[in-house]
Amino acid sequence: MAYGKREVLTGVDLRISAGETVALLGPNGAGKTTTIEIMQGFRRRSAGDVTVLGTDPEKGDETWRGRLGTVLQSWRDHPRWEVGTLLSQIAAHYPSPWDSDELLAALGLTAQAKVKIGMLSGGQRRRLDVALGIVGRPELLFLDEPTTGFDPEARREFHELIRGLDTTILLTTHDLAEAERLADRIAVLIDGRIAVYGTPEELARAVQAPSVVSWQDGSTETHDPSQLAWELHQKYGGPVPALEIRRPTLEESYLSLIERSVA
Amino acid sequence: MSGIMRLGPRRGIAEFGTMVRDRKELYNSILGSAGIYALLAVWLRDRKVAGTDVDLSTYMMAGMMALVVFQIGLMNLPMMIAADREEGALLRLRTVPGGIGSFLIGRAVSITLAATLQIALILAIGLAVGGASLPASPGHWLTLAWVLPLGMLAVVPLGAALGALLPNPRTAGAVLGLPVMGLLIISGAMFPVTAMPEAVRWVAQAFPLYWQGHGIRAALLSDSTLAAEIGGTWRLAESAGILALWLVAGMVLAPRLLRRATRGAAGTRSPVGS
Ligand SMILES: Nc1ncnc2c1ncn2[C@@H]1O[C@H](COP(=O)(O)OP(=O)(O)OP(=O)(O)O)[C@@H](O)[C@H]1O
Ligand SMILES: [Mg+2]
Repeated sequence: MAYGKREVLTGVDLRISAGETVALLGPNGAGKTTTIEIMQGFRRRSAGDVTVLGTDPEKGDETWRGRLGTVLQSWRDHPRWEVGTLLSQIAAHYPSPWDSDELLAALGLTAQAKVKIGMLSGGQRRRLDVALGIVGRPELLFLDEPTTGFDPEARREFHELIRGLDTTILLTTHDLAEAERLADRIAVLIDGRIAVYGTPEELARAVQAPSVVSWQDGSTETHDPSQLAWELHQKYGGPVPALEIRRPTLEESYLSLIERSVA
Repeated sequence: MSGIMRLGPRRGIAEFGTMVRDRKELYNSILGSAGIYALLAVWLRDRKVAGTDVDLSTYMMAGMMALVVFQIGLMNLPMMIAADREEGALLRLRTVPGGIGSFLIGRAVSITLAATLQIALILAIGLAVGGASLPASPGHWLTLAWVLPLGMLAVVPLGAALGALLPNPRTAGAVLGLPVMGLLIISGAMFPVTAMPEAVRWVAQAFPLYWQGHGIRAALLSDSTLAAEIGGTWRLAESAGILALWLVAGMVLAPRLLRRATRGAAGTRSPVGS
């Protein structure tokens, strides 16, 4: 995908199975939003093949569109409408939508049902975006940084809500804990290419970020903690006092992947 | 399709509700013109249109009604659509099945309701303070019944296209404000176009505002105002013809303008805001 002469997406090879939740990670400007916009048919790709729910997004009709749900990165539409009015108006376009009141309750917006959308706080506005994105019971849900501005409690409730959905999800986020908690598989997009794609464990293995091994008399980073542990056992001739092996977190794997690709 | 025919009007009514509830919008685009007319009607109560026995305030009522339609179509509508685009309402509706259809029908319904409310208010004020009377015969009612909707249709396609072309509501207001004001002055809405120099009269007659006003005057005023009309007769066939011409031109031009606005969608930020 190129914007004019600038190529932004050069190697996005991504297959998402039904029912799966995939997190798309990547630094600012990597092309995550562009990827999602292409999959929704909002942006014409300059090259490549895309199939979403069996259809080329550029040829998707309204029935196809009705099977998708969308929470785009930033919305500030309909500021003069009331929360409840807009939600039920949008819901009415889908064949079997959620009940608006139930959905507002699920997202903690019941008290805001009669509030003008322009008056909502940032996090409330974001929750409404999520409500509008899922109100049609989509088969495939795009979430572009859905929890920006959520307080910790709202974030947890949102995670529970998302995990309770029987839907295929493509999610972008800069919150790695969120990716780890929600995603079955994680794709990391760097400079327009999918650098790795797999479960968090596969990612850690592929990246080979160092584990931290510490014991009573020292601590070190190693790519092969089991080898080091074995050597330590031999050195101590038995149990190693206060031995601790810490595998890299997703965040560490991710950051070392980014660092390496920048270098 | 039947879904959109139900959802569009429902959206339009909700949209009209937000307009009425929003104080600023209510004063600016609904009560404003009626208020101005009320002031003028009181102020000019006993002034006559030169060479006739018709009150200037009665004459102005017809002009204000024409202006409302013209202004809603070519000023408010473009500004609303530009705002919808800038804020992302259009993009939101693109994510929804049938959303764009329901958006367009919704806008059509909401501006029609707004225009109807304004016209009703101006007519009521005209009757109460301006010394106006209702159409004199079924034939006059019929004229009113076609000239108002035709005048609206004549400007709406063009207004929608302008809204899609202009980057945001502020530019839309700035670009469209002056021409609309100018036309208001030269189109015989406030005082007879016969008071204008010949050349200006021709310019006025090229635009739908003049013909809309002429048609409404034919429906609402007595023949004693004919002295103030060009040629001294009601030219209803010309009114219908020129308004229809604008409608056709709008229908031909609007899709082209819209296509131009969305051309090169690949490679630029989505034209419907982001
Ligand atoms: N309409 C556009 N025209 C030109 N370049 C664009 C356009 N939209 C995006 N870009 C560029 O494409 C690249 C990818 O942008 P994109 O919005 O997809 O990134 P992202 O991964 O979603 O970033 P973020 O994490 O900040 O949301 C960026 O370098 C951006 O500047
Ligand atoms: Mg983005």
